[in-house]
Amino acid sequence: MKIIRKLIRYSMLLLILAVMIFPLLWMFRVSLMESGNSVAFENLFTSSFSFQNYLDLFATSKIGQYLFNSVLVGLVVTVGNIIFCFMTAYTIARYDYIVNKLLFISVILILMIPIHIIIIPMYLLMVKFGIYDSYFALILPWLVNPIGIFLVKQYIEAIPPSMEEAARIDGAGEMRILFRIVMPLCKPVLAVLAIQVFFTNWNSFLFPFILTQSDSVRTLPVALALMQGHQAIDWQHLMAGSAIAVIPVLIVFIIMQKQIVSGITAGGIKQ
Amino acid sequence: MQHKKTTALLLALPWIVTLLLFWLYPIIYSFVVGFTDRQLLSKTWQWVGFDNYIALLSDESFLTALKNTSIFVLGTIPVTTIVALLLALLVNKQFKGRGLFRAGYFLPSITSMVVVALIFTNLFQRGGYIALLAEMLGFTPPQHGFLLDSSTALYSIMAMDIWMAVGYYMLIFLAGLKSIPQELYEAAKIQGAGQVRQFFSITLPLLKPVALFILVINSIKSFQVFVEIFVMTQGKFETSTMVYFIYESGLTTKFNFGYASAAAYILFLIVAVFSFLQFRLLKNRGTV
Repeated sequence: MKIIRKLIRYSMLLLILAVMIFPLLWMFRVSLMESGNSVAFENLFTSSFSFQNYLDLFATSKIGQYLFNSVLVGLVVTVGNIIFCFMTAYTIARYDYIVNKLLFISVILILMIPIHIIIIPMYLLMVKFGIYDSYFALILPWLVNPIGIFLVKQYIEAIPPSMEEAARIDGAGEMRILFRIVMPLCKPVLAVLAIQVFFTNWNSFLFPFILTQSDSVRTLPVALALMQGHQAIDWQHLMAGSAIAVIPVLIVFIIMQKQIVSGITAGGIKQ
Repeated sequence: MQHKKTTALLLALPWIVTLLLFWLYPIIYSFVVGFTDRQLLSKTWQWVGFDNYIALLSDESFLTALKNTSIFVLGTIPVTTIVALLLALLVNKQFKGRGLFRAGYFLPSITSMVVVALIFTNLFQRGGYIALLAEMLGFTPPQHGFLLDSSTALYSIMAMDIWMAVGYYMLIFLAGLKSIPQELYEAAKIQGAGQVRQFFSITLPLLKPVALFILVINSIKSFQVFVEIFVMTQGKFETSTMVYFIYESGLTTKFNFGYASAAAYILFLIVAVFSFLQFRLLKNRGTV
Protein backbone atom coordinates (compact mmCIF):
# COMPACT_ATOMS: atom_id res chain seq x y z
CA MET A 1 0.00 0.00 0.00
CA LYS A 2 2.74 2.37 1.00
CA ILE A 3 4.77 1.51 -2.08
CA ILE A 4 1.83 2.16 -4.39
CA ARG A 5 1.26 5.52 -2.77
CA LYS A 6 4.91 6.39 -3.22
CA LEU A 7 4.74 5.30 -6.83
CA ILE A 8 1.74 7.51 -7.53
CA ARG A 9 3.41 10.41 -5.79
CA TYR A 10 6.63 10.13 -7.74
CA SER A 11 4.94 9.64 -11.08
CA MET A 12 2.92 12.77 -10.43
CA LEU A 13 6.02 14.70 -9.43
CA LEU A 14 7.88 13.50 -12.50
CA LEU A 15 5.03 14.28 -14.86
CA ILE A 16 4.83 17.85 -13.58
CA LEU A 17 8.60 18.16 -13.77
CA ALA A 18 8.47 17.07 -17.39
CA VAL A 19 5.85 19.71 -18.18
CA MET A 20 7.87 22.39 -16.42
CA ILE A 21 11.24 21.75 -18.01
CA PHE A 22 10.25 20.44 -21.43
CA PRO A 23 10.07 23.88 -23.12
CA LEU A 24 13.60 24.71 -21.99
CA LEU A 25 14.92 21.35 -23.12
CA TRP A 26 13.14 21.91 -26.43
CA MET A 27 14.93 25.24 -26.79
CA PHE A 28 18.33 23.60 -26.28
CA ARG A 29 17.47 20.75 -28.63
CA VAL A 30 16.34 23.04 -31.43
CA SER A 31 19.39 25.24 -30.96
CA LEU A 32 21.59 22.22 -31.68
CA MET A 33 19.69 21.11 -34.81
CA GLU A 34 20.99 21.65 -38.28
CA SER A 35 19.75 24.99 -39.53
CA GLY A 36 17.46 25.03 -42.55
CA ASN A 37 15.38 21.99 -41.66
CA SER A 38 11.89 22.50 -40.39
CA VAL A 39 11.51 22.23 -36.63
CA ALA A 40 9.22 19.25 -36.50
CA PHE A 41 8.80 16.83 -33.69
CA GLU A 42 10.09 13.95 -35.82
CA ASN A 43 13.45 15.71 -36.06
CA LEU A 44 13.81 15.64 -32.30
CA PHE A 45 15.70 12.36 -32.39
CA THR A 46 16.84 12.03 -36.00
CA SER A 47 18.42 15.44 -36.46
CA SER A 48 22.10 15.84 -35.65
CA PHE A 49 23.68 17.68 -32.72
CA SER A 50 26.02 20.56 -33.50
CA PHE A 51 27.11 23.88 -32.10
CA GLN A 52 27.17 25.42 -35.55
CA ASN A 53 24.20 27.75 -34.86
CA TYR A 54 25.98 29.28 -31.88
CA LEU A 55 29.14 29.82 -33.92
CA ASP A 56 27.07 31.35 -36.74
CA LEU A 57 25.45 33.79 -34.36
CA PHE A 58 28.75 35.09 -33.04
CA ALA A 59 30.24 35.22 -36.54
CA THR A 60 27.43 36.86 -38.45
CA SER A 61 25.15 38.69 -35.99
CA LYS A 62 25.86 41.33 -33.36
CA ILE A 63 25.07 38.96 -30.52
CA GLY A 64 28.46 39.57 -28.94
CA GLN A 65 27.62 43.24 -28.71
CA TYR A 66 24.16 42.57 -27.22
CA LEU A 67 25.67 40.20 -24.71
CA PHE A 68 28.25 42.80 -23.74
CA ASN A 69 25.53 45.45 -23.35
CA SER A 70 23.41 43.20 -21.15
CA VAL A 71 26.37 42.30 -18.93
CA LEU A 72 27.59 45.89 -18.64
CA VAL A 73 24.19 47.38 -17.83
CA GLY A 74 23.41 44.49 -15.46
CA LEU A 75 26.66 44.86 -13.54
CA VAL A 76 26.50 48.65 -13.17
CA VAL A 77 22.87 48.55 -12.05
CA THR A 78 23.62 45.75 -9.58
CA VAL A 79 26.60 47.54 -8.02
CA GLY A 80 24.55 50.74 -7.84
CA ASN A 81 21.74 48.97 -6.02
CA ILE A 82 24.07 47.31 -3.53
CA ILE A 83 25.55 50.67 -2.54
CA PHE A 84 22.52 52.95 -2.81
CA CYS A 85 19.85 50.62 -1.42
CA PHE A 86 22.17 49.95 1.49
CA MET A 87 22.77 53.65 2.15
CA THR A 88 19.10 54.55 2.03
CA ALA A 89 18.08 51.54 4.08
CA TYR A 90 20.64 52.44 6.72
CA THR A 91 19.33 56.00 6.99
CA ILE A 92 15.74 54.82 7.34
CA ALA A 93 16.62 52.12 9.84
CA ARG A 94 19.01 54.04 12.05
CA TYR A 95 18.25 57.77 12.01
CA ASP A 96 15.06 58.89 13.65
CA TYR A 97 14.01 62.04 11.84
CA ILE A 98 10.67 62.92 10.33
CA VAL A 99 12.34 63.09 6.95
CA ASN A 100 13.20 59.44 7.31
CA LYS A 101 9.63 58.49 8.04
CA LEU A 102 8.70 60.33 4.87
CA LEU A 103 11.43 58.49 3.01
CA PHE A 104 10.04 55.16 4.14
CA ILE A 105 6.54 56.13 3.11
CA SER A 106 7.90 57.07 -0.31
CA VAL A 107 9.46 53.62 -0.63
CA ILE A 108 6.17 51.88 0.18
CA LEU A 109 4.14 54.10 -2.12
CA ILE A 110 6.42 53.60 -5.10
CA LEU A 111 6.34 49.85 -4.46
CA MET A 112 2.62 49.90 -5.14
CA ILE A 113 2.61 52.11 -8.25
CA PRO A 114 2.17 50.09 -11.45
CA ILE A 115 5.18 50.82 -13.62
CA HIS A 116 3.21 51.33 -16.86
CA ILE A 117 2.32 54.85 -15.65
CA ILE A 118 5.85 56.03 -16.37
CA ILE A 119 6.37 54.52 -19.84
CA ILE A 120 5.51 57.65 -21.82
CA PRO A 121 7.11 60.26 -19.52
CA MET A 122 10.25 58.16 -19.17
CA TYR A 123 10.63 58.13 -22.93
CA LEU A 124 10.12 61.90 -23.13
CA LEU A 125 12.47 62.52 -20.22
CA MET A 126 15.28 60.54 -21.85
CA VAL A 127 14.78 62.37 -25.13
CA LYS A 128 14.84 65.71 -23.31
CA PHE A 129 18.02 64.84 -21.40
CA GLY A 130 19.62 63.76 -24.65
CA ILE A 131 20.40 60.30 -23.30
CA TYR A 132 17.76 58.39 -25.27
CA ASP A 133 19.43 55.40 -26.93
CA SER A 134 22.45 55.39 -24.64
CA TYR A 135 23.68 53.28 -21.72
CA PHE A 136 22.63 56.08 -19.38
CA ALA A 137 18.97 55.62 -20.30
CA LEU A 138 19.24 51.95 -19.34
CA ILE A 139 21.14 52.53 -16.11
CA LEU A 140 20.24 55.82 -14.40
CA PRO A 141 16.57 55.18 -13.48
CA TRP A 142 17.30 51.78 -11.91
CA LEU A 143 20.34 52.43 -9.70
CA VAL A 144 18.27 52.18 -6.55
CA ASN A 145 14.94 50.41 -6.14
CA PRO A 146 12.23 50.42 -3.46
CA ILE A 147 12.02 46.64 -3.03
CA GLY A 148 15.76 46.55 -2.39
CA ILE A 149 15.60 49.35 0.16
CA PHE A 150 12.78 47.57 1.94
CA LEU A 151 14.64 44.26 2.00
CA VAL A 152 17.88 45.73 3.39
CA LYS A 153 16.07 47.96 5.90
CA GLN A 154 14.32 44.94 7.43
CA TYR A 155 17.69 43.24 7.75
CA ILE A 156 19.51 46.20 9.31
CA GLU A 157 16.77 46.67 11.88
CA ALA A 158 17.38 43.15 13.11
CA ILE A 159 21.07 43.90 13.80
CA PRO A 160 21.66 45.24 17.33
CA PRO A 161 23.18 48.75 17.17
CA SER A 162 25.69 48.06 19.97
CA MET A 163 28.63 47.54 17.59
CA GLU A 164 28.01 50.85 15.86
CA GLU A 165 27.73 52.65 19.21
CA ALA A 166 31.00 51.13 20.44
CA ALA A 167 32.73 52.25 17.25
CA ARG A 168 31.24 55.71 17.60
CA ILE A 169 32.62 56.01 21.13
CA ASP A 170 36.02 54.97 19.76
CA GLY A 171 35.74 57.98 17.47
CA ALA A 172 35.04 56.26 14.15
CA GLY A 173 33.37 58.48 11.54
CA GLU A 174 29.88 57.72 10.18
CA MET A 175 31.15 56.63 6.78
CA ARG A 176 33.63 54.27 8.36
CA ILE A 177 30.93 52.74 10.55
CA LEU A 178 28.60 52.44 7.61
CA PHE A 179 30.92 50.76 5.14
CA ARG A 180 33.39 48.98 7.43
CA ILE A 181 31.09 47.70 10.17
CA VAL A 182 27.46 47.55 9.07
CA MET A 183 27.96 46.65 5.42
CA PRO A 184 29.96 43.46 6.09
CA LEU A 185 27.22 42.37 8.48
CA CYS A 186 24.69 42.81 5.71
CA LYS A 187 26.49 40.56 3.24
CA PRO A 188 23.76 37.86 3.16
CA VAL A 189 20.96 40.28 2.34
CA LEU A 190 23.11 42.19 -0.12
CA ALA A 191 23.84 38.94 -1.94
CA VAL A 192 20.12 38.27 -2.20
CA LEU A 193 19.57 41.81 -3.45
CA ALA A 194 22.36 41.56 -6.00
CA ILE A 195 20.99 38.39 -7.55
CA GLN A 196 17.47 39.73 -7.71
CA VAL A 197 18.53 42.99 -9.30
CA PHE A 198 20.80 41.30 -11.79
CA PHE A 199 18.15 38.78 -12.86
CA THR A 200 15.45 41.41 -13.20
CA ASN A 201 17.75 43.58 -15.24
CA TRP A 202 19.06 40.73 -17.36
CA ASN A 203 15.52 39.66 -18.28
CA SER A 204 14.01 43.10 -18.58
CA PHE A 205 12.42 44.04 -21.88
CA LEU A 206 9.95 46.92 -21.73
CA PHE A 207 12.20 49.86 -20.82
CA PRO A 208 15.31 48.76 -22.73
CA PHE A 209 12.99 48.32 -25.69
CA ILE A 210 11.38 51.75 -25.60
CA LEU A 211 14.55 53.63 -24.59
CA THR A 212 16.97 52.33 -27.22
CA GLN A 213 17.01 51.90 -30.96
CA SER A 214 20.57 51.13 -32.07
CA ASP A 215 22.51 47.89 -31.92
CA SER A 216 25.38 49.45 -30.00
CA VAL A 217 23.33 49.72 -26.78
CA ARG A 218 20.56 47.20 -27.32
CA THR A 219 20.34 44.42 -24.73
CA LEU A 220 19.98 40.72 -25.48
CA PRO A 221 16.24 40.22 -24.74
CA VAL A 222 15.31 43.21 -26.91
CA ALA A 223 17.51 42.00 -29.73
CA LEU A 224 16.01 38.50 -29.54
CA ALA A 225 12.44 39.80 -29.55
CA LEU A 226 13.13 41.91 -32.62
CA MET A 227 15.14 39.23 -34.43
CA GLN A 228 11.98 37.22 -34.77
CA GLY A 229 10.01 39.87 -36.59
CA HIS A 230 12.32 40.25 -39.55
CA GLN A 231 12.13 37.45 -42.10
CA ALA A 232 10.84 33.95 -42.06
CA ILE A 233 11.77 32.70 -38.63
CA ASP A 234 15.00 30.75 -38.45
CA TRP A 235 14.16 28.80 -35.32
CA GLN A 236 17.51 27.08 -34.92
CA HIS A 237 19.43 30.34 -34.67
CA LEU A 238 16.71 32.06 -32.66
CA MET A 239 16.74 29.26 -30.10
CA ALA A 240 20.55 29.37 -29.97
CA GLY A 241 20.30 33.09 -29.18
CA SER A 242 17.67 32.37 -26.54
CA ALA A 243 19.90 29.72 -25.01
CA ILE A 244 22.73 32.25 -24.79
CA ALA A 245 20.38 34.50 -22.80
CA VAL A 246 19.30 31.68 -20.50
CA ILE A 247 22.62 29.91 -19.79
CA PRO A 248 24.08 32.59 -17.45
CA VAL A 249 20.84 32.64 -15.47
CA LEU A 250 20.89 28.84 -15.19
CA ILE A 251 24.48 28.85 -13.95
CA VAL A 252 23.78 31.50 -11.31
CA PHE A 253 20.62 29.64 -10.31
CA ILE A 254 22.46 26.35 -9.78
CA ILE A 255 25.22 27.98 -7.73
CA MET A 256 23.12 30.37 -5.68
CA GLN A 257 19.77 28.62 -5.35
CA LYS A 258 19.59 29.31 -1.62
CA GLN A 259 19.95 33.08 -1.94
CA ILE A 260 17.45 33.23 -4.79
CA VAL A 261 14.83 31.32 -2.85
CA SER A 262 15.34 33.36 0.33
CA GLY A 263 15.03 36.57 -1.66
CA ILE A 264 11.65 35.51 -2.96
CA THR A 265 10.33 34.23 0.31
CA ALA A 266 11.50 37.31 2.21
CA GLY A 267 8.98 39.24 0.16
CA GLY A 268 6.27 36.74 1.01
CA ILE A 269 6.84 36.65 4.73
CA LYS A 270 7.03 40.38 5.34
CA GLN A 271 3.25 40.63 5.13
CA MET B 1 23.47 66.72 15.88
CA GLN B 2 23.22 68.97 12.87
CA HIS B 3 26.14 67.09 11.41
CA LYS B 4 24.30 63.78 11.77
CA LYS B 5 21.23 65.14 10.10
CA THR B 6 23.28 66.14 7.08
CA THR B 7 24.83 62.68 6.93
CA ALA B 8 21.39 61.08 7.05
CA LEU B 9 20.16 63.19 4.18
CA LEU B 10 23.34 62.69 2.19
CA LEU B 11 23.02 58.93 2.46
CA ALA B 12 19.48 59.02 1.17
CA LEU B 13 20.32 61.41 -1.65
CA PRO B 14 20.50 58.80 -4.45
CA TRP B 15 17.03 57.58 -3.56
CA ILE B 16 15.64 61.12 -3.21
CA VAL B 17 16.97 62.08 -6.65
CA THR B 18 15.68 58.86 -8.23
CA LEU B 19 12.34 59.31 -6.52
CA LEU B 20 11.87 62.88 -7.70
CA LEU B 21 13.30 62.51 -11.18
CA PHE B 22 12.29 59.04 -12.30
CA TRP B 23 9.17 58.37 -10.26
CA LEU B 24 7.30 61.41 -8.97
CA TYR B 25 7.97 63.64 -11.96
CA PRO B 26 6.83 61.00 -14.51
CA ILE B 27 3.80 60.05 -12.41
CA ILE B 28 2.64 63.66 -12.17
CA TYR B 29 3.66 64.45 -15.74
CA SER B 30 1.62 61.65 -17.21
CA PHE B 31 -1.37 62.66 -15.10
CA VAL B 32 -1.17 66.23 -16.39
CA VAL B 33 -0.45 65.30 -19.99
CA GLY B 34 -3.52 63.06 -19.95
CA PHE B 35 -5.59 66.25 -20.01
CA THR B 36 -3.85 67.65 -23.10
CA ASP B 37 -3.72 66.74 -26.77
CA ARG B 38 0.07 66.57 -26.81
CA GLN B 39 1.68 64.54 -29.62
CA LEU B 40 5.28 64.07 -30.65
CA LEU B 41 5.37 66.24 -33.73
CA SER B 42 3.02 69.03 -32.77
CA LYS B 43 4.98 71.86 -31.12
CA THR B 44 1.91 73.31 -29.49
CA TRP B 45 -0.65 71.56 -27.39
CA GLN B 46 -3.70 72.60 -25.46
CA TRP B 47 -5.83 71.57 -22.55
CA VAL B 48 -8.67 69.31 -23.55
CA GLY B 49 -10.09 68.49 -20.11
CA PHE B 50 -11.57 65.02 -19.92
CA ASP B 51 -11.75 64.68 -23.72
CA ASN B 52 -9.10 61.92 -23.80
CA TYR B 53 -10.92 59.95 -21.16
CA ILE B 54 -14.26 60.35 -22.90
CA ALA B 55 -12.77 59.41 -26.26
CA LEU B 56 -11.12 56.33 -24.75
CA LEU B 57 -14.39 55.02 -23.41
CA SER B 58 -15.82 54.89 -26.91
CA ASP B 59 -12.60 53.76 -28.61
CA GLU B 60 -13.14 50.26 -29.95
CA SER B 61 -9.51 49.20 -29.64
CA PHE B 62 -9.23 50.52 -26.10
CA LEU B 63 -12.34 48.62 -25.03
CA THR B 64 -11.02 45.46 -26.66
CA ALA B 65 -7.74 45.91 -24.78
CA LEU B 66 -9.69 46.40 -21.56
CA LYS B 67 -11.74 43.30 -22.21
CA ASN B 68 -8.69 41.19 -23.04
CA THR B 69 -6.83 42.40 -19.96
CA SER B 70 -9.83 41.50 -17.79
CA ILE B 71 -10.02 38.03 -19.31
CA PHE B 72 -6.29 37.66 -18.77
CA VAL B 73 -6.37 38.73 -15.12
CA LEU B 74 -9.55 36.93 -14.10
CA GLY B 75 -8.54 33.81 -15.99
CA THR B 76 -4.94 33.41 -14.90
CA ILE B 77 -4.97 34.52 -11.27
CA PRO B 78 -7.31 31.90 -9.75
CA VAL B 79 -5.70 29.07 -11.72
CA THR B 80 -2.15 30.22 -10.93
CA THR B 81 -2.93 30.59 -7.23
CA ILE B 82 -4.63 27.22 -6.88
CA VAL B 83 -2.03 25.31 -8.91
CA ALA B 84 0.77 27.02 -6.97
CA LEU B 85 -0.84 26.00 -3.68
CA LEU B 86 -1.26 22.41 -4.85
CA LEU B 87 2.36 22.28 -5.99
CA ALA B 88 3.49 23.70 -2.66
CA LEU B 89 1.53 21.04 -0.76
CA LEU B 90 2.97 18.37 -3.03
CA VAL B 91 6.61 19.31 -2.39
CA ASN B 92 6.20 20.46 1.23
CA LYS B 93 6.62 17.01 2.80
CA GLN B 94 10.06 15.53 3.30
CA PHE B 95 10.98 13.04 0.56
CA LYS B 96 13.94 12.06 -1.57
CA GLY B 97 14.74 14.49 -4.38
CA ARG B 98 12.55 17.25 -2.99
CA GLY B 99 15.04 20.01 -3.73
CA LEU B 100 15.37 18.87 -7.32
CA PHE B 101 11.62 18.96 -7.95
CA ARG B 102 11.28 22.36 -6.30
CA ALA B 103 14.08 23.76 -8.41
CA GLY B 104 12.63 22.23 -11.56
CA TYR B 105 9.18 23.70 -10.96
CA PHE B 106 10.68 27.07 -10.21
CA LEU B 107 12.95 27.14 -13.26
CA PRO B 108 10.46 28.72 -15.74
CA SER B 109 9.99 31.78 -13.54
CA ILE B 110 13.63 32.82 -13.64
CA THR B 111 13.79 32.51 -17.41
CA SER B 112 13.44 35.70 -19.39
CA MET B 113 9.88 36.36 -20.58
CA VAL B 114 11.17 37.12 -24.08
CA VAL B 115 12.83 33.71 -24.27
CA VAL B 116 9.79 31.91 -22.89
CA ALA B 117 7.55 33.73 -25.35
CA LEU B 118 9.85 32.77 -28.23
CA ILE B 119 9.94 29.11 -27.21
CA PHE B 120 6.15 28.98 -26.94
CA THR B 121 5.71 30.77 -30.24
CA ASN B 122 7.49 27.78 -31.69
CA LEU B 123 5.56 25.23 -29.61
CA PHE B 124 2.20 26.83 -30.47
CA GLN B 125 2.80 27.13 -34.20
CA ARG B 126 1.02 25.17 -36.92
CA GLY B 127 2.14 21.54 -36.78
CA GLY B 128 4.12 22.41 -33.65
CA TYR B 129 4.52 20.35 -30.56
CA ILE B 130 1.35 21.46 -28.78
CA ALA B 131 -0.77 20.99 -31.90
CA LEU B 132 0.60 17.47 -32.09
CA LEU B 133 -0.28 16.88 -28.46
CA ALA B 134 -3.80 18.24 -29.00
CA GLU B 135 -4.30 15.90 -31.95
CA MET B 136 -3.15 12.96 -29.89
CA LEU B 137 -5.77 13.86 -27.28
CA GLY B 138 -8.46 14.03 -29.94
CA PHE B 139 -8.76 17.80 -30.40
CA THR B 140 -8.45 19.58 -33.71
CA PRO B 141 -5.84 22.32 -33.38
CA PRO B 142 -6.51 25.66 -35.12
CA GLN B 143 -5.58 25.52 -38.78
CA HIS B 144 -2.90 28.23 -38.72
CA GLY B 145 -1.55 27.51 -35.26
CA PHE B 146 -2.77 28.58 -31.84
CA LEU B 147 -1.41 32.13 -32.00
CA LEU B 148 -2.82 33.01 -35.40
CA ASP B 149 -6.42 32.35 -34.46
CA SER B 150 -8.60 34.83 -32.57
CA SER B 151 -10.41 32.13 -30.64
CA THR B 152 -7.27 30.58 -29.15
CA ALA B 153 -4.47 33.17 -29.16
CA LEU B 154 -5.23 34.92 -25.88
CA TYR B 155 -5.96 31.68 -24.05
CA SER B 156 -2.75 30.13 -25.31
CA ILE B 157 -0.75 33.06 -23.95
CA MET B 158 -2.63 32.80 -20.65
CA ALA B 159 -1.75 29.10 -20.40
CA MET B 160 1.89 29.94 -20.96
CA ASP B 161 1.79 32.62 -18.27
CA ILE B 162 0.30 30.20 -15.76
CA TRP B 163 2.97 27.64 -16.61
CA MET B 164 5.64 30.26 -16.08
CA ALA B 165 4.35 31.76 -12.83
CA VAL B 166 3.24 28.79 -10.72
CA GLY B 167 6.74 27.88 -9.54
CA TYR B 168 7.37 31.35 -8.20
CA TYR B 169 4.15 31.47 -6.19
CA MET B 170 4.73 27.89 -5.08
CA LEU B 171 7.89 29.10 -3.34
CA ILE B 172 5.99 31.85 -1.54
CA PHE B 173 3.33 29.36 -0.44
CA LEU B 174 6.10 27.06 0.79
CA ALA B 175 7.47 29.85 2.98
CA GLY B 176 3.95 30.38 4.33
CA LEU B 177 3.55 26.67 5.06
CA LYS B 178 6.87 26.64 6.88
CA SER B 179 5.76 29.43 9.19
CA ILE B 180 2.73 27.47 10.45
CA PRO B 181 3.64 26.07 13.90
CA GLN B 182 3.93 22.27 13.83
CA GLU B 183 2.27 22.01 17.27
CA LEU B 184 -1.08 22.98 15.78
CA TYR B 185 -1.07 19.87 13.62
CA GLU B 186 -0.01 17.70 16.53
CA ALA B 187 -2.79 19.06 18.72
CA ALA B 188 -5.29 18.46 15.91
CA LYS B 189 -4.03 14.92 15.47
CA ILE B 190 -4.50 14.19 19.17
CA GLN B 191 -8.07 15.44 18.93
CA GLY B 192 -8.64 13.06 16.05
CA ALA B 193 -8.77 15.50 13.14
CA GLY B 194 -7.98 13.83 9.81
CA GLN B 195 -5.71 15.27 7.12
CA VAL B 196 -8.55 16.89 5.20
CA ARG B 197 -9.92 18.50 8.35
CA GLN B 198 -6.43 19.72 9.28
CA PHE B 199 -6.01 21.28 5.87
CA PHE B 200 -9.28 23.20 6.00
CA SER B 201 -9.14 24.34 9.62
CA ILE B 202 -5.40 24.97 10.07
CA THR B 203 -3.45 25.23 6.82
CA LEU B 204 -5.90 27.21 4.73
CA PRO B 205 -6.86 29.89 7.30
CA LEU B 206 -3.23 30.44 8.30
CA LEU B 207 -2.17 30.79 4.68
CA LYS B 208 -4.58 33.67 4.16
CA PRO B 209 -2.01 36.47 4.55
CA VAL B 210 0.31 34.74 2.08
CA ALA B 211 -2.56 34.18 -0.33
CA LEU B 212 -3.48 37.85 -0.10
CA PHE B 213 0.08 38.87 -0.81
CA ILE B 214 0.15 36.57 -3.84
CA LEU B 215 -3.19 37.83 -5.14
CA VAL B 216 -2.15 41.45 -4.89
CA ILE B 217 1.29 41.16 -6.49
CA ASN B 218 0.01 38.78 -9.13
CA SER B 219 -2.83 41.06 -10.14
CA ILE B 220 -0.60 44.15 -10.30
CA LYS B 221 1.71 42.13 -12.55
CA SER B 222 -1.04 40.58 -14.67
CA PHE B 223 -2.80 43.87 -15.38
CA GLN B 224 0.44 45.01 -16.99
CA VAL B 225 0.91 42.07 -19.33
CA PHE B 226 2.87 43.28 -22.34
CA VAL B 227 6.08 41.46 -23.32
CA GLU B 228 4.45 38.15 -24.27
CA ILE B 229 1.81 39.98 -26.32
CA PHE B 230 4.47 42.00 -28.12
CA VAL B 231 6.62 38.97 -28.92
CA MET B 232 3.93 36.42 -29.73
CA THR B 233 1.13 38.24 -31.53
CA GLN B 234 1.91 41.98 -31.72
CA GLY B 235 -1.57 42.56 -30.33
CA LYS B 236 -3.24 40.87 -33.29
CA PHE B 237 -5.87 38.12 -33.11
CA GLU B 238 -7.78 39.66 -30.23
CA THR B 239 -4.81 39.76 -27.87
CA SER B 240 -4.17 43.48 -27.45
CA THR B 241 -3.98 44.41 -23.76
CA MET B 242 -4.02 47.72 -21.87
CA VAL B 243 -0.26 48.19 -21.73
CA TYR B 244 0.00 47.10 -25.34
CA PHE B 245 -2.59 49.76 -26.18
CA ILE B 246 -0.63 52.38 -24.23
CA TYR B 247 2.53 51.42 -26.10
CA GLU B 248 0.80 51.38 -29.47
CA SER B 249 -1.02 54.69 -29.13
CA GLY B 250 1.80 56.51 -27.31
CA LEU B 251 5.01 55.24 -28.82
CA THR B 252 4.25 54.09 -32.35
CA THR B 253 3.00 55.87 -35.50
CA LYS B 254 1.00 58.70 -33.90
CA PHE B 255 2.93 59.21 -30.66
CA ASN B 256 -0.25 60.37 -29.00
CA PHE B 257 1.17 61.10 -25.54
CA GLY B 258 -1.91 62.67 -24.02
CA TYR B 259 -4.21 59.90 -25.13
CA ALA B 260 -1.85 57.12 -24.01
CA SER B 261 -1.29 58.76 -20.64
CA ALA B 262 -5.01 58.98 -20.00
CA ALA B 263 -5.25 55.26 -20.80
CA ALA B 264 -2.40 54.59 -18.37
CA TYR B 265 -4.28 56.38 -15.61
CA ILE B 266 -7.47 54.44 -16.27
CA LEU B 267 -5.47 51.24 -15.87
CA PHE B 268 -3.87 52.63 -12.71
CA LEU B 269 -7.30 53.31 -11.26
CA ILE B 270 -8.51 49.82 -12.09
CA VAL B 271 -5.44 48.24 -10.48
CA ALA B 272 -5.86 50.38 -7.35
CA VAL B 273 -9.54 49.52 -6.95
CA PHE B 274 -8.88 45.85 -7.63
CA SER B 275 -6.09 45.66 -5.02
CA PHE B 276 -8.23 47.52 -2.49
CA LEU B 277 -11.14 45.11 -3.02
CA GLN B 278 -8.87 42.11 -2.59
CA PHE B 279 -7.62 43.52 0.71
CA ARG B 280 -11.14 44.14 1.97
CA LEU B 281 -12.45 40.79 0.86
CA LEU B 282 -9.72 38.73 2.49
CA LYS B 283 -9.50 40.86 5.62
CA ASN B 284 -13.21 40.47 6.29
CA ARG B 285 -13.18 36.75 5.76
CA GLY B 286 -10.23 36.49 8.10
CA THR B 287 -12.19 37.78 11.08
CA VAL B 288 -15.08 35.34 10.70
